[in-house]
Amino acid sequence: MRFDLLMQGFANVLQLNVLLMVVLGVTGGIMVGSLPGLTATMGVALLVPFTFGLPINQSMAMLLGIFCGAIYGGSISAILIRTPGTPAAAATLLDGYPLSERGEAGRALSMSVFASFIGGFSGALIMTFLSPQISKVALKFGPPEYFALAIFGLSIIISVSGNSILKGVMAGIFGLTLSTIGLDPISGYPRFTFGQMDLFEGPAFIPTLIGLFALSEIFKGVETILTREKVDNKITQLLPTLADIKKCWKVILKSSILGTFIGSIPGAGSDIAAFVGYSEAKRTSKYPEKFGTGVIEGVAAAESANNACTGGAMIPLLSLGVPGDAVTAVLLGAFVIQGLRPGPLLYRDHMDVVYSVFAAMMVANIVMFIIGALGVKFFSKVITVDRNILIPVIFLLSIVGSYAMRNSIFDVWVAILFGILGYFMQRYDFPASPILLALILGPMAESNLRRALVISKGDISILFTRPISVILLGLAVVSLISSFVKQKRVEKRLAQEESEAAFK
Amino acid sequence: MKYARNIKGVDPVAKRKIFSICMIGLMVLYLWGCSSLYRTQEDSTQEYSSEVEIEENLFPRKAIQIVVPYAPGGGTDSVARALADAAKKYFNKPVLVVNKTGEGGAIGMTEGVNAQADGYTVTMVTSELVTLPNLGLAPFTYSDFQPILQVNEDPAALTVRKDAPWNTVEDFVLYAKNNPDKIRIGNSGEGSIWHFAAADIGKSTKTKLKHVYFDGAAPAVVNLLGGYIDAVTVSPAEVLTHVKNGELKVLGILSAERISSLPQVPTFKEQGYDVAVSTWRGLGVPKNTPEQVVEILEAGFSKAAQDLDFIEIMNQLELGYKVAGRNEFLEIIENHHQAIKVLIEELGMEAANNDK
Repeated sequence: MRFDLLMQGFANVLQLNVLLMVVLGVTGGIMVGSLPGLTATMGVALLVPFTFGLPINQSMAMLLGIFCGAIYGGSISAILIRTPGTPAAAATLLDGYPLSERGEAGRALSMSVFASFIGGFSGALIMTFLSPQISKVALKFGPPEYFALAIFGLSIIISVSGNSILKGVMAGIFGLTLSTIGLDPISGYPRFTFGQMDLFEGPAFIPTLIGLFALSEIFKGVETILTREKVDNKITQLLPTLADIKKCWKVILKSSILGTFIGSIPGAGSDIAAFVGYSEAKRTSKYPEKFGTGVIEGVAAAESANNACTGGAMIPLLSLGVPGDAVTAVLLGAFVIQGLRPGPLLYRDHMDVVYSVFAAMMVANIVMFIIGALGVKFFSKVITVDRNILIPVIFLLSIVGSYAMRNSIFDVWVAILFGILGYFMQRYDFPASPILLALILGPMAESNLRRALVISKGDISILFTRPISVILLGLAVVSLISSFVKQKRVEKRLAQEESEAAFK
Repeated sequence: MKYARNIKGVDPVAKRKIFSICMIGLMVLYLWGCSSLYRTQEDSTQEYSSEVEIEENLFPRKAIQIVVPYAPGGGTDSVARALADAAKKYFNKPVLVVNKTGEGGAIGMTEGVNAQADGYTVTMVTSELVTLPNLGLAPFTYSDFQPILQVNEDPAALTVRKDAPWNTVEDFVLYAKNNPDKIRIGNSGEGSIWHFAAADIGKSTKTKLKHVYFDGAAPAVVNLLGGYIDAVTVSPAEVLTHVKNGELKVLGILSAERISSLPQVPTFKEQGYDVAVSTWRGLGVPKNTPEQVVEILEAGFSKAAQDLDFIEIMNQLELGYKVAGRNEFLEIIENHHQAIKVLIEELGMEAANNDK
């Protein structure tokens, strides 16, 4: 850690032309992030070719701005219209959308921007001070550890199951089954593809996400398009109230640390981080049964975790030259085109660039906070639009979004199919997030289990003889058991309260 | 309420409901239209070629499109964009890059094969043009394309950790012979070019290696650094920074000649093993594109590939710069196809995929 270099880094970033790039990047990122189907990855990827001619400071400032802005931006549409703009925002909508349905969109949005800022900023701080140490831990992650991490992630299904754990588990298993469609990750054999080339990679993730959440809500919305009362969403504040901050600060700090750490493991991205943060907040909450019905902590936990992930994902990129997630994989290209290959050599030969990136990351988060907070009033105008106009517009955006991912009409059909499925799931009270988690984690669990077994020549004990994988598997068991126990306790308490109420 | 007022006697709520349902129906129909339009375009490729013949003297009359089968921001995309940028001044027309991603490149290349054979749709083809069809993972073969120009070639580099007990390919082979299936060698996925590189090493040195498949080269390198595997066969650019930092060492390059980024490392051939596996990138058009159009394309893109800006970007991307005209390129592709075919048969991979 060299403070003189960090100061120099700030001096590099706090120039008018570089700051302008940050502002442009963040604004563009928020827009890209809030549109379904346009993810942070795509936003950064589309702009990389334009940065070829820019000096490294400006190029990084803009791209990091997009990265941070887009991860926050995803929460806006998740909260307002139940459409996660990026996969990372899928956990945000669990409580964000119910809040906005209750007329508290402003409260949710301002908490989202606040939590995103604290998360993103702590991620950047951790990255600045602990990069070399954390990257050593990331190197310890081999196939058995990834498998254990995926299993731990799958145990979260219990937390996002809503009222019925059984229904959640059913949805999760359905998702795991779906995740086996496509090329076998180890032998390359096409499974359940019916000879359809479009299915070689399985059902595309973004269209599935759009279908399950956005389209299903549209189909439901159509039923009541004319009869439903408009919710009065008065926006009175730009920042969360002190009471809300007091309620959430513990959750935000915890999620920020979790998010940074998960981000720093190559291959585990902000979507996983958001769900882990959310589930951890629910597990330690005094009223876990209220999660999913519009609890402000739910929004805070998910948003701080997924934004903290941005800093985390930069750690292996800068110190090992290995991207932490899909966005940083594109950023790698942006570095290389400038003649700077991230990795240990960058630390040795171009410390100034590394510290400029640290500084740019912090500045980008501050800018995101200012633009996001100022924008709360403006964004929430969306839900004041008449529903018979709003719903077709969201429908159109969802369709375009599913097409845009791979320029494929097949993906649009995937989205519509999952929309119909999601509609019936909502109707019969099945949670959709377990499917999502299973789709993210299923392939990770499968390919790493098989890879681990190849390495150990078929000996399954490789999974239980390494410290990190044992810890993670243990955590999975603990989280399963504690969720069950807690659920039972809550049921008991609710029954008691009910009988007391009846007695009175 | 505007619509409801016009028609008397109908419940306004019901009226608007019907209206909404009609709107949704329309959108679905539109979508249906889009998808069938898509299909007819592909089917009618043949009919268009006669029209093209009249036009070919004036080629190009409009923008040329380069289809990139991989995502924006990646290596292939960067090469295509740099080439497009350099090429527009030689064609006096815009040269656009369109990314059609999916299925490891099969989607984009299929699109390229099915494009109108008029020269306006050029595809960035990669070594997957040879590997995917051989694995039964793509509905085309290399002969559906007419190559135009090769712009890049990167050989595999057999890389191990610094503390590994081997310093030459010979040490490595000797150890592998005495300890069959003991050396765990990582690659970027089953059927990927780097898997074939490792398999080819095993085949020509008659040793048994344990192949470990990762999703791409980067995770394989991390696992090598972390000690989960013993070696990788990926491109030099992917390990260079760790080699310079003294954590990894390259035992041998799988190419005919030494490479400029690691001049001190001998090739496999120099060390007595005749193995060479490279990945490559180039341009291709559908096979029945008129000869004259192909000539114009080759001339224009050749000039672009010799443009100093393009060469600089290739160097910055740490990609091997190699330009070959269409005849030489075709030969390279054919040889590669044969080699991969033999390898797949020996590995017993083809049976798994071709019986679907």
